[in-house]
Amino acid sequence: MRTLKGLYLSGCIDIMGYEALDFYDVDSLLTDEERMIRDVVRDWVDSSVIPKIENACREGVFLDEWRQEIGSMGILGAPLKGYGCPGLSYTAYGVICRELERGDSGIRSFASVQGSLAMYPIWDFGSEEQKERYLPKMATGELIGCFGLTEPDYGSNPGDMVTKAVEDGDGFVLNGAKMWITNGTIADLAIVWAKLDGVIRGFIVEKDDPGFSAPEMKGKHSLKASVTSELVFQDCRIPKDRILPGVKGLRGPFSCLNNARYGISWGAVGSAQACYDSARSYAMSRIQFDHPIAAYQLIQNKLAWMLREITKAQLLAYHLGEKKDSGTWIPEHISLAKMNNVDIALEIARVSRDIHGANGILDEYPVMRHMANLESVKTYEGTHDIHNLILGRHITGIQAFTREA
Amino acid sequence: MTVTIIAEQQQEGTHPTLAQMVSAAKGLGGTCKVIIPGGSGEQEASNISGVDKVMKMTGECFSSFDSQSWSSSMKNSIEGTVLLAATPAGRELGASIAAELGISVIQDVTSISPGIKLERPVYSGKAIENLTTSENCVITIRPNSIEAAEMGGSAEITSQDSTESIRLAVLEAIAKASEKIDVSEADIIISGGRGLGDASNFEKLEEVASTLGAAVGASRAVVDEWGLPHSMQVGQTGKTVTPALYIAVGISGAIQHLAGMRSSRYIVAINKDPDAPIFAVADYGIVASWEDALPAMHDAIKALP
Amino acid sequence: MKAAVLIKQVPDTTAKIDISGGEVDESGIAKWSISPYDEYALESALQMQKDVGATVVAITLGPDRASKSLVDAAAVGADELVHISHEGAIGSFALQTALAEAVKRVGADVVLAGKQAADTNAGSTASGVAKILNWPCVGLVSKIDASEGEFEATRSTVAGLERVSVSSPCVFAFDKGEDKLRIPNVRGIMMAKKKPVQKHTMADLEVDASNGGITESSVTYPPQKPPGQKFEGASSAPEVVSRLRDEANVI
Ligand SMILES: Cc1cc2nc3c(=O)[nH]c(=O)nc-3n(C[C@H](O)[C@H](O)[C@H](O)COP(=O)(O)OP(=O)(O)OC[C@H]3O[C@@H](n4cnc5c(N)ncnc54)[C@H](O)[C@@H]3O)c2cc1C
Repeated sequence: MRTLKGLYLSGCIDIMGYEALDFYDVDSLLTDEERMIRDVVRDWVDSSVIPKIENACREGVFLDEWRQEIGSMGILGAPLKGYGCPGLSYTAYGVICRELERGDSGIRSFASVQGSLAMYPIWDFGSEEQKERYLPKMATGELIGCFGLTEPDYGSNPGDMVTKAVEDGDGFVLNGAKMWITNGTIADLAIVWAKLDGVIRGFIVEKDDPGFSAPEMKGKHSLKASVTSELVFQDCRIPKDRILPGVKGLRGPFSCLNNARYGISWGAVGSAQACYDSARSYAMSRIQFDHPIAAYQLIQNKLAWMLREITKAQLLAYHLGEKKDSGTWIPEHISLAKMNNVDIALEIARVSRDIHGANGILDEYPVMRHMANLESVKTYEGTHDIHNLILGRHITGIQAFTREA
Repeated sequence: MTVTIIAEQQQEGTHPTLAQMVSAAKGLGGTCKVIIPGGSGEQEASNISGVDKVMKMTGECFSSFDSQSWSSSMKNSIEGTVLLAATPAGRELGASIAAELGISVIQDVTSISPGIKLERPVYSGKAIENLTTSENCVITIRPNSIEAAEMGGSAEITSQDSTESIRLAVLEAIAKASEKIDVSEADIIISGGRGLGDASNFEKLEEVASTLGAAVGASRAVVDEWGLPHSMQVGQTGKTVTPALYIAVGISGAIQHLAGMRSSRYIVAINKDPDAPIFAVADYGIVASWEDALPAMHDAIKALP
Repeated sequence: MKAAVLIKQVPDTTAKIDISGGEVDESGIAKWSISPYDEYALESALQMQKDVGATVVAITLGPDRASKSLVDAAAVGADELVHISHEGAIGSFALQTALAEAVKRVGADVVLAGKQAADTNAGSTASGVAKILNWPCVGLVSKIDASEGEFEATRSTVAGLERVSVSSPCVFAFDKGEDKLRIPNVRGIMMAKKKPVQKHTMADLEVDASNGGITESSVTYPPQKPPGQKFEGASSAPEVVSRLRDEANVI
């Protein structure tokens, strides 16, 4: 029988911190800059997220130092060009999401919402003045944004939203409520989608606008280190120049979601890598029936399955990045990757939890946290099944979202 | 061959490493000359068996440590292979002397034998470098890696005054605000767990730590229960540490704790439960209550030369 | 003022070291980084850049892969980059001579380096370079306050910490610094890649790149540790202590 110490000495076990699984060496396809950015974000996650995340989750807070440090790394709004934005490739943006989500989905959510859901619509649909006023400070994290689409009664079906805007003299007056809004309470501005004369339009609401409030939603079992809020508009008055001039209809919010979902398809890989890493190292050191559990076929089968799924997910994400960068993508490509990668990440988290036995439910290990987080990730940005329906429509030409044709 | 030893500076008497350097020099064969920069202890040095000559250097530049002016003042007094203790000052001075003489310096060796064959740990002890060098070099030797030479010599003492001037000025000494060493940087860590019974017993660990120059760590259980700073916590959710020596006191060795310290080079465990899992990773296990074993260990450490 | 920072690229301190044929197998090293103490030296130079407008020059000596550490230095703000290419072993004196020559050529007034590199753990470079330049050297520094041509530094000695003053030109060897290391920024990374690197060879610096007096060198794994030993009772403590000293060589 080999003792634990014996295993270490013989080099069977080496625990030298986090090692990102990359079986096919997919990261060798990245550019030097992309790898440098990866290392910077990965080191930051190691030094600033991992040691603090469990406590932040227990207290249900997103640390303000995370906002500052993410801002000073200059990774917010990664693929946007100009106005103080980084102007990176979509692949680089994906890598950033992956590394952040290896730490925690809540941290990645912060960056996704800021970059893809708040900065992007201003960048794409905003006026010149709006871009100059908000984007440079949002890129550094000085200003935080949120994105209000979902309503208490309209989730998967945002087209039927009831939040309304009416023109009134030199401004607009908003009434209604949004729910499940990431960053809401800590945001300086909200991109709010509301109907103006029956047409969905985007509005920029600032935190001090009269009639606006953003109470935090408490009691989440998932994404605990992320702020989730309601947005309440009671005769909320905003100036005329806060409407996003460049877009009308659902295309506005959906184009934001495409970018965020793309980032999630990479982010989920990060969560899965973290769960795999923990499962592997735990299995190597946990001894039952005189041997490390990693020596048993059932455990090996689970680890091999994780390796297989992660490798496939990496290739999906990487190739989708190429398509984003070359402009050859369609929204259904993103649906497939978001759906698949979150799905396997969640399953890997569950299997990893299983391998950890009782220890798996403790916050000493990251797996149950990732597992709980991924339940949200599976639902937001289009639920798993909504993406199935999107693909179904693409395959058959028949929409199955509603019973009417 | 000839060996010149530069003694580590000391307020009174000689530094314990001097007798070790002498023993290393004797191992190489040939004559042995000791240079004492500023400081004191020439009498004691001359009494170490194996020393042939002692030369005390005085002068303004020795009022505080200035490697560059020291090496300039010594260059004409040095003969043959140069040995120093691999203390921080010894390494700095050794490198300066080597550059002064235009020869190589080999730092922090743990083994030295004729030929001259040297061994030194590299990559924080993950590998050993084995070197053969000519006699024309400066070597610093890790303190306590060589048995000290005996007393019983009576070497001739000379002294020399240097006119080198010092090029840096000490403005003030800053009282070291008993700054605690961080566990993630320490070479030696002594950690306590629930077995200590009470947070106040961490003082006992602090005492041993200050003798060893070690950091004090803790298991998660006591960090949570006794409200100790999280920065002390070693383990899965705390720090992962790889010191040369990890002493676990009253720590049973839950897998989460092992995850943070099992790559330490040497592990000592003190626990009264002979079946505690910590013993599975310990190089040296002491099955005893910490109340008895820790003071005994501390006394033995203090008794080391 | 011009501050030269000597940086060495080393295997990341978490890297596993594999040895084959008496050498470290570099292909097994996944991550190379700037040696940790050098990072504090760099941070201090960047403080000088902010406080007194110093130009920061990062200098490294090593094979091609080492140029990555220059890009890392540029990413946090180094203004100029110098790479002395050299493959394989090199004696400490030749190495210091080359670095000192590069320092002279860039016209630096102050040199900052780490107290020792994380791979060889030697700690010779700063002091040796100082000697070759005939500049004073302050070791184990944790903080420098710079004004034009004058420095006040905190250094650690056996007796504790002390403040010393020294004038330019001079050399500092860094211990862990008091200042927090800055996190690189993406914009810095993108610009860093475009920053020109001044390349030198040992030949054009007119340095004899011999291995000094070292005639043979090889690397081996540390000796296998004896299997774990268990002792009964507190009376065994002195025995354990003496083994820690003689067998393990750790105290
Ligand atoms: C932590 C968190 C953060 C969020 N952040 C934001 C944010 O920042 N901004 C924002 O606007 N929103 C946000 N959301 C909301 C999120 O986008 C919605 O939860 C999501 O769109 C699903 O809506 P719903 O929860 O109302 O579920 P529903 O739409 O009610 O769906 C319930 C179930 O029914 C299924 N379903 C729905 N329609 C069909 C159909 N036609 N056929 C078959 N099955 C169907 C779904 O797949 C799902 O399983 C967040 C949500 C969470 C959990």
